[in-house]
Amino acid sequence: MTALFAGLLHPLIVPAHVLSIAALALLIGQQTWGRNVPMVYAVAVLAGLGAIAMAYVPKFNEEVLLSLAAITGLLVALARPLPEGFGSLLAAALGLSLALDSPPEVLALLQANLTLLGTAVGAVLLLLALLQGTARLRHHWQRIGARILGSWIAAIAILVLALRLVR
Amino acid sequence: MGAAVIRLFAVLLCFTAASPALAHTGSVSGGFAGGLSHPLFGLDHAVAMVAVGLWGAFLGAPAIFILPVVFPLVMALGGVLGILGVPLPGVEIGIAVSAAVLGMMVALAARPPLWVAAVIVGAFAICHGHAHGAELPPGADAVAYSAGFVIATGALHLCGIAFGLLARWPRGRLAVRAAGGVIAVAGLVFLGRLL
Repeated sequence: MTALFAGLLHPLIVPAHVLSIAALALLIGQQTWGRNVPMVYAVAVLAGLGAIAMAYVPKFNEEVLLSLAAITGLLVALARPLPEGFGSLLAAALGLSLALDSPPEVLALLQANLTLLGTAVGAVLLLLALLQGTARLRHHWQRIGARILGSWIAAIAILVLALRLVR
Repeated sequence: MGAAVIRLFAVLLCFTAASPALAHTGSVSGGFAGGLSHPLFGLDHAVAMVAVGLWGAFLGAPAIFILPVVFPLVMALGGVLGILGVPLPGVEIGIAVSAAVLGMMVALAARPPLWVAAVIVGAFAICHGHAHGAELPPGADAVAYSAGFVIATGALHLCGIAFGLLARWPRGRLAVRAAGGVIAVAGLVFLGRLL
């Protein structure tokens, strides 16, 4: 059970993961996209975790994830209407890189698989929970607040990317 | 469905009290606290950030919305320059001048076109970002530190905006302009110490 909880908590306590999921939730809430985008994200998370279960060893995933968080945050700050297809593409890329950045530390196969299962549930649940809030941002000041949050997320991701580049 | 997801998420959140072993390293809480306190303990930074919010509120819409969105992004670009070690001469002087100029803009109730205000604030944002970027400590969790630092900067803007909203009333307007004057004087004192 510890492995399952460790996986569940992974997207909640890794700041880069929280940032990217929050940025996606803000963008989905801001745009008038249907349920396809969160669905694509969930499928991408499962695909990425499946790849890890098949012993795929990813490289530079946190950098990719932070780049996607920066792009998503910028799009939230710009607040321009975007096609749903683009949203699906972005959600797929974000879900995939988030999953690939979540390799379990445990060596035992059962424990590792439980951790991956927990990560899948945690990552999808976190997006759905945040969407419950961001989808309700209808007032003008709430939309401005979402744009400010988007610019903060983009700024954080850009700073961290620069740090990764240097250190 | 929505309420169920939120309830389930709340239960999940309770488990964060535990500390699972994960592959990611770095002190998240220490990094966040360090980043959060960094802009607050530099008085020259803090007063200039408050002045940005004051001026935004004084200028009214759309400046009140645009400045807090644009500032963190431009500041991040300045931060990138600082992290990459790109030299920017007179950064500390620029920060002191930012407090003096922005405070003076509020004190004099200056209302330039939005693009002029954005250029002034943007230029100072690069100075502030560069200084912060160059001072980012090694070892701390980079994401948590940057998050704390950006949130603290944004919170200072919001403090300025909140106080600046008093400008809707005649006495409040006077109080806001006086606050701008105090910030301008503080900026001149910072500048005097540097020269």
